Amino acid sequence: MENNELTKNGKRLDGREFNEMRPLKIEAGILKNAHGSAYLEWGGNKIIAGVYGPKECIPRHDANPFKAKLACRYTMSPFCSKEEHGRAGPNRRSIELSMVLREALENVVELERYPKAMIEVSIEVLQAEGGTRCAALVAGAVALANAGIPMRDLPIAVAAGKIADTICLDCSKIEDNYGQADFPVALAPRNNDILLMQMDGLMTKEEMFKALDFIEKSAEKIKETEKNALEKAINKVN
Amino acid sequence: MKKFIFPGDLIDKEKLNIYGAYYHNGSTYSLVTGMYDDEEKRLIIFNGPYEPKIGDVIIGVIEDIRGNGYSINFGLAINSYISARDFRETLNYGDILVAKIANYDESDGNVELTEHSVLRGGIIINISPFKVPRVIGKKGSMLDQIKNKTNSKIIVGKNGWIWIKDGNVNLTKSSIQKIEREAHTSGLTDKIAKYLEDNEESLDVN
Amino acid sequence: MEPIDEIKKSNVKNLLQNNERIDRRGMLDYRPIEITKNYIDTGEGSALVKLGETKALSVIKFDVVEPFSDKPNEGVISTNSEMLSLSSERFESGPPGEKSIELARVVDRGIRSAEIIDTKDMNLGDGKVLGLFIDLYLLDYDGNYLDASALATMAALRNTMVPTYEDGVLIRDNMKKKLKLKGDVFMNTFVKIDDKILLDPILDEEVSMDCRLSVGIYENNICSLQKNGRGEIKRNEFEYMIDASLEKYKELKKIIEI
Repeated sequence: MENNELTKNGKRLDGREFNEMRPLKIEAGILKNAHGSAYLEWGGNKIIAGVYGPKECIPRHDANPFKAKLACRYTMSPFCSKEEHGRAGPNRRSIELSMVLREALENVVELERYPKAMIEVSIEVLQAEGGTRCAALVAGAVALANAGIPMRDLPIAVAAGKIADTICLDCSKIEDNYGQADFPVALAPRNNDILLMQMDGLMTKEEMFKALDFIEKSAEKIKETEKNALEKAINKVN
Repeated sequence: MKKFIFPGDLIDKEKLNIYGAYYHNGSTYSLVTGMYDDEEKRLIIFNGPYEPKIGDVIIGVIEDIRGNGYSINFGLAINSYISARDFRETLNYGDILVAKIANYDESDGNVELTEHSVLRGGIIINISPFKVPRVIGKKGSMLDQIKNKTNSKIIVGKNGWIWIKDGNVNLTKSSIQKIEREAHTSGLTDKIAKYLEDNEESLDVN
Repeated sequence: MEPIDEIKKSNVKNLLQNNERIDRRGMLDYRPIEITKNYIDTGEGSALVKLGETKALSVIKFDVVEPFSDKPNEGVISTNSEMLSLSSERFESGPPGEKSIELARVVDRGIRSAEIIDTKDMNLGDGKVLGLFIDLYLLDYDGNYLDASALATMAALRNTMVPTYEDGVLIRDNMKKKLKLKGDVFMNTFVKIDDKILLDPILDEEVSMDCRLSVGIYENNICSLQKNGRGEIKRNEFEYMIDASLEKYKELKKIIEI
């Protein structure tokens, strides 16, 4: 597929406007054991996140006497792609993303409250369809909030991209793969502080800040969805 | 007026000293998901890690023998330690302990315990520490209501660990779990009274 | 094992003296079972099973692979299991441990022995065959991941579509061919606690067990067995579990057809 085949009649292949997000659905508190959990469907992405802690830090020598350690694991399932069957377990990409996601979450979680402890966030990508690391951050954030871990803000994340020389929000897998740029960003919505940011491709400064506008404008909507999930989990009466 | 509040949400444009909130640049914001009562200026939290307080009664399990004492897991970030000399009997792995917090050092998470005793038999259930007040009720009224109907011995740890023994253990357990699920609703005392009444016969295994 | 298991064990054993289980089930009753077919769109087949609070996902995918040298015209079945760290504090993250590996091998064994999948029908020609990959993902653990995973796998296989093979590539769009299965394989897991035999152990019962037996049944045959734990099984107890498994087959067949 060519980059210029990614638009049709002024719209994207799935019919979306350039600043339109894919449907996002979040459920919180869906697992019995995890202290906090979230399940998310975003476009074709399906992600489940679970949180345990604060608990004793393992290994012991990793414990920080002044604050908790946030252990974040992002893994893609072997069946997450419609195409070939992948390999289970971490790979170089998932290791890098685990770190980048951890650092974004470390910014908002009050780790100083739990010296020497560990908080574990496990994010499993069951289905991947573009923008997975951003969806993973949202799932992780909701799982942490569902666990009652104190956080200074409820972060959001979404990727912007460039297809057929046009900036677009929330790229699908095909737009990711054949587009001209990929720009995933996580924000702390209170002040739109940037917590996670990566980019590959080619963008002018103007294009980049237009993309950031798109991202900031969608922050409210994503945060609403996160809050609804958390509220529903509290209201759930068996 | 109560409304739902989430991490990062503004609580008030002045400095309030509320548990579960933080102060930044002249305003107070929430750290957790919960409900904020703006009349009583109180944050109602449903779920989260237990915060140790001096005087709290907590329940835990013996996890390890270390040096001349025992390492006890109370569900906190680090285990607590009690010297073997403070016990008249020898304890075993898996024994259940109830104790009172004598001292708590926030800077390193260390908890010192006193008035400890072993609980034999019974079962342990876990609920969110923030729902413990609802299980106990005003002046212990909710807990008394359950004890009267089930004749169970119940010790409620502020850390959310609850020990139940004797009487209609099943009914006690399911009543407490019902309180946990419905803690955010009103009229809970009456609902539980009715639940105890309705299920007195059917859940009794004795 | 966790320290809290000691009190769980006492409670389970006390109740069993009166033939009572902690969730008040019959000794040979399954917990409520909920099956969601086609849970994962990226798989060629999938199912999520909730067995009480235990939640097991099984996903089927096909790929083009080299056959085994001793069976050059037959497809390859491969099963892998991940007991996700989010499913329980008892599982650490990392490569599959012995429990996870055992789970994959036992689920695989039942399907392979009963030959419900015709591997001879998986030859693509040109020295290539279809590889059928079964991925077991445990999402929440409250005892008996074996039966939950085996049932999820059976439900997934029943809804698996086979891609077409064109110019050396598998086409996974508009799949019209359903995977042909010779029949159903179901697994029944029992635990023995102080001379009592229980079907479908919930977590508290699993930590209290002396030993465990998983029985795979295909129609009126036993197609797999796995004993677990250091306790011993008496011959008459073994016969009791075999009979119970053969009996449960019809019940599970009804459930999976819903």
